[in-house]
Amino acid sequence: MQASFLFNHGHHSIFTAILNGLSIGSVYAIFALGYTLVFSILGIINFAHGAIFTLGAYFSYTLTGGAFGFNGLLANASLPIHLPFLFALVLGSILAGIASVIVERLAFRPLRKRGADPLLTLVSSLGAAVVIVNVIQYLVGSEIYTFPSDIYGRLPASINFGTVERPIAIRTVQIVIFSVSALIVSILTYFINFTRFGKALQAVSEDAITASLLGINTEKFITFTFFLSGFLAGLAGTLVGSSVSIAGPYFGIAFGLKGLGVIVLGGLGNIPGAVLGGLVIGLAEAFVPADYSGYKEAIAFALLFMMLLVRPQGLLGRSVIQKV
Amino acid sequence: MFKRRFISQILVSLFTFALVVACTQPNPSNSSVTPSSEGSTTSRNAVAIPIGVAVAQTSNVSLLGQEQVIGAKIAEQVFNQKGGVNGTPIKLIFQDTAGDEQGAINAFNTLISQSKVVGIVGPTLSQQAFGADPVAERAKVPVLAPSNTAKGIPQIGDYIARVSAPVAVVAPNAIEAALKTNPQIKNVAVFFAQNDAFSKSETGTFQKTVQDKALNLVTVQKFQTTDTDFQTQVTNAMNLKPDLIIISGLAADGGNLVKQLRDLGYKGLIIGGNGLNTSNILPVCKQACDGVLIAQAYSPEHPGDLNKTFRDVYKTQNKKEPPQFSAQAFTGIQVFVEALTALDNKTKLNTLSLEQLRTELNKQILSAKYDTPLGQISFDSEGEIQQSQFYVAQIKMDADGQNGRFEFLK
Amino acid sequence: MTMTAFLETYGFLIVSMLLGALLGLSVYLPLMAGQLSLASPGFYALGGYIAAILSTQVFPVTEGSFPLLELLLEMLLAAIAAAVLAIALGIPVLRLRGIYLAIATIAFVEILRVLALNLEITGGAVGIFGIPQPFQSQIGYLWIVVPLLGLSMVFLYRLESMHVGRVLRAIREDELAADTMGINPTHYKLLSFVLGAVLAGVVGAISAHFLNTWNARQGTFDASIVYLAFVLSGGSRTFVGPVVGGIVLTALPEILRGMAGISGLPIWLAQFLQDGRLIIFGLLIVMSTVFLPPRGNYTRTVTTMAMAKAAARQRETRETREGSD
Repeated sequence: MQASFLFNHGHHSIFTAILNGLSIGSVYAIFALGYTLVFSILGIINFAHGAIFTLGAYFSYTLTGGAFGFNGLLANASLPIHLPFLFALVLGSILAGIASVIVERLAFRPLRKRGADPLLTLVSSLGAAVVIVNVIQYLVGSEIYTFPSDIYGRLPASINFGTVERPIAIRTVQIVIFSVSALIVSILTYFINFTRFGKALQAVSEDAITASLLGINTEKFITFTFFLSGFLAGLAGTLVGSSVSIAGPYFGIAFGLKGLGVIVLGGLGNIPGAVLGGLVIGLAEAFVPADYSGYKEAIAFALLFMMLLVRPQGLLGRSVIQKV
Repeated sequence: MFKRRFISQILVSLFTFALVVACTQPNPSNSSVTPSSEGSTTSRNAVAIPIGVAVAQTSNVSLLGQEQVIGAKIAEQVFNQKGGVNGTPIKLIFQDTAGDEQGAINAFNTLISQSKVVGIVGPTLSQQAFGADPVAERAKVPVLAPSNTAKGIPQIGDYIARVSAPVAVVAPNAIEAALKTNPQIKNVAVFFAQNDAFSKSETGTFQKTVQDKALNLVTVQKFQTTDTDFQTQVTNAMNLKPDLIIISGLAADGGNLVKQLRDLGYKGLIIGGNGLNTSNILPVCKQACDGVLIAQAYSPEHPGDLNKTFRDVYKTQNKKEPPQFSAQAFTGIQVFVEALTALDNKTKLNTLSLEQLRTELNKQILSAKYDTPLGQISFDSEGEIQQSQFYVAQIKMDADGQNGRFEFLK
Repeated sequence: MTMTAFLETYGFLIVSMLLGALLGLSVYLPLMAGQLSLASPGFYALGGYIAAILSTQVFPVTEGSFPLLELLLEMLLAAIAAAVLAIALGIPVLRLRGIYLAIATIAFVEILRVLALNLEITGGAVGIFGIPQPFQSQIGYLWIVVPLLGLSMVFLYRLESMHVGRVLRAIREDELAADTMGINPTHYKLLSFVLGAVLAGVVGAISAHFLNTWNARQGTFDASIVYLAFVLSGGSRTFVGPVVGGIVLTALPEILRGMAGISGLPIWLAQFLQDGRLIIFGLLIVMSTVFLPPRGNYTRTVTTMAMAKAAARQRETRETREGSD
């Protein structure tokens, strides 16, 4: 028998749902951070973000000394080194950042140089994603790869936020992801608002032409933005991969669409907004009653749809973009 | 102005296309064989017999397609070593279907008209089969479905049969095995991947069996094969204190669900559906896989020489136990080879035109029995597989949590 | 290769290419008025379900081929349903511009997909199968598709040279100015949006028969971007672009497949063309967007993007920067 989920269990359930929502939302949030960063500087959506996320996870996996399966060109290959997880995480993310810069050079810069419609970047970045995903598959096949189980040391599998009789368990790795997202947001916010570099970045994003007249090398900043976005994607990919395993070359693509919902909900280009958007969608999904769990997938998009109609600038956006 | 430029553009693009494909002669190194054009009969003494394999080698279902390719290739190697079809080797021709219906239809068309295969093993997904099988049916080319388990596949037509048992048969055994392990089971929670055709049919059978056994179905939780986080569904289900959880999904999502159930403190029995019958789930749920009961249409432990050969080759290559998808693809090729051999014994194959060969081959396939890695199989008149053995295995993980085995439950 | 063998192998592909051209046009229509809508796959899915349900559950079973008249009826009903849904959707969402409109329409497509997975009548994940065939062979669909494409192109050719076309172009160039000239942009935007939806719905109805089956995997987000690629790689200044783009991009993966079979290629190259053909496909998409389309804007998205960015960056400037880059 299953009656209304809220009445039966009272506050305990609401609390559970909130924790569940935060746990799910933290993954969306960490995915969306680098995604929204590129939008905030360039005003474009980078559909290759999900592919870079995947790539970062594969880089880190390789650096931990993980071997590949029988399929693909690199059958049974592995690096002779076995980096500790933390080093692999940082180095893998740097490599993902470099990959992101390469994507920028090939799929974004030529369009910008030509003054083409930014709309075209939707298609060229999707093309780049197709290339990356299929190169991964060509090289290492579609197997599922996992990080060793001891990467988080002696941390327990889950932490109980409830009582012994009525447990509310949250997986520890999700708490790690949540904390890292919070940390990144704080650092980025500080970086963008309080450093010279960050101020210059803002200037580029507001008005590239004036910025370059003021002697700012805009191309350098754009390159850096892509590097940072790729780095964050790699970080996110590795952490999420360590939570749920790297489920093949399409691993990150599956997050891409919902990630789009997340960044619009929070306010396109708004960095704290990306985290807020992620958590809101996570919470909304957690509150879907079990009988309607089939519709859970649509929640993010229903919220997004309503948000666009009521407040297109998103939760944290301030001014009105819609004219007249 | 516009019109003229437009028409010329269209013409140029169509012409280029025609040119490219018209130059496309079958590559001897790659997709060789049968010289016979319709109606004419040619000696097929030296040339290998072409059999098509159309599975998802790319796209997000390629994990399954990749396993099928391995299985088929092992079959090609094994049977050619045994002398192929009375001395004539077989030659597999692979065409990638990707994950969609259009891709499957294109691959079937290429195999049928260009590579002139005698039959096809494929496609990977049931949805793709509903798209592409009618094409083969119209062209009168026998198709053996290696992994299409949805209702209605053999009924697509006379030329469509399958070696993948529909889920209705496999599922109930696992519940019986669970009840044998723990007769106290009362409350059952069911999970299924709602965007997967196979899982959706399988869960129906599981739920019906739960009710038939007078167990209490406390909740049905849906997810997507692309999901990675099951926190909400797991908590929802655990609030209802189930002592048996049944999962219908695929490797990555199923493995994560098992892991998260254990991480979040579920202690009871878990049954994994047939989609979880692959060693690919072991790295995902690691130690948490231990003890999971799996409904199998194929067990690597199946006795029999052919299965042993297959299993040995697979293990040398891949350093793990062969999954069901590889075994089924192997079986598909085996059925073609044995039916071709039987047909050749009756009427020499090289006296038949391609059309006659396809039709006679189809009749032959349906009329015989095969001793395969899946066990004894045969087909009913519609092309539905009659499989004699199904298995329930229990996963046993090694102490390090990296490797494990599917242990056969009696 | 003989003509028969060619048609047997590529009949399906040729029809697919023309359907691709039609889908390119369905994205192009709203774009004529500067509206970047990615809703076409949603209407395509809707049209397909209408045809699939009618032909398998409603219409009586017939001996032999499926009657052409019933196919036309399905196409008509799909068009009506798509139009109704497009009006209901268009009135609220067409207030949005640029990337926001694109995202709202992506959300719409995704919501429809989840609905299709959950409803009984759409058959869930398995979908609807055994859809009857109006033609003996796949190439037979040309009898429907060629006239439809021809009519659509004549219609668009006429439209572009008519008053309506000029108004749409004026809206695309400068909506604000068009508004002040006494044109009601909303009506015209809605008109082009509905026309695009109707076309996608009709193509969906044909495709359900053409593919023999219909399910929730038809018409998804990926498809949205692929249709957009049809338009943008072909060029979106006139209706010719999407037609050429749809034809070429649909054929491309199959051409690569065919090239793998050309005799005399080194084995590694043939192997790469077959296994790595999607890598090449992706590269060609990037290259076609980077090199092919002419300079300039298709929509005023530069401005709207800049505006969106300004909003997101919490700027107070409410000035529209129409015409500047």
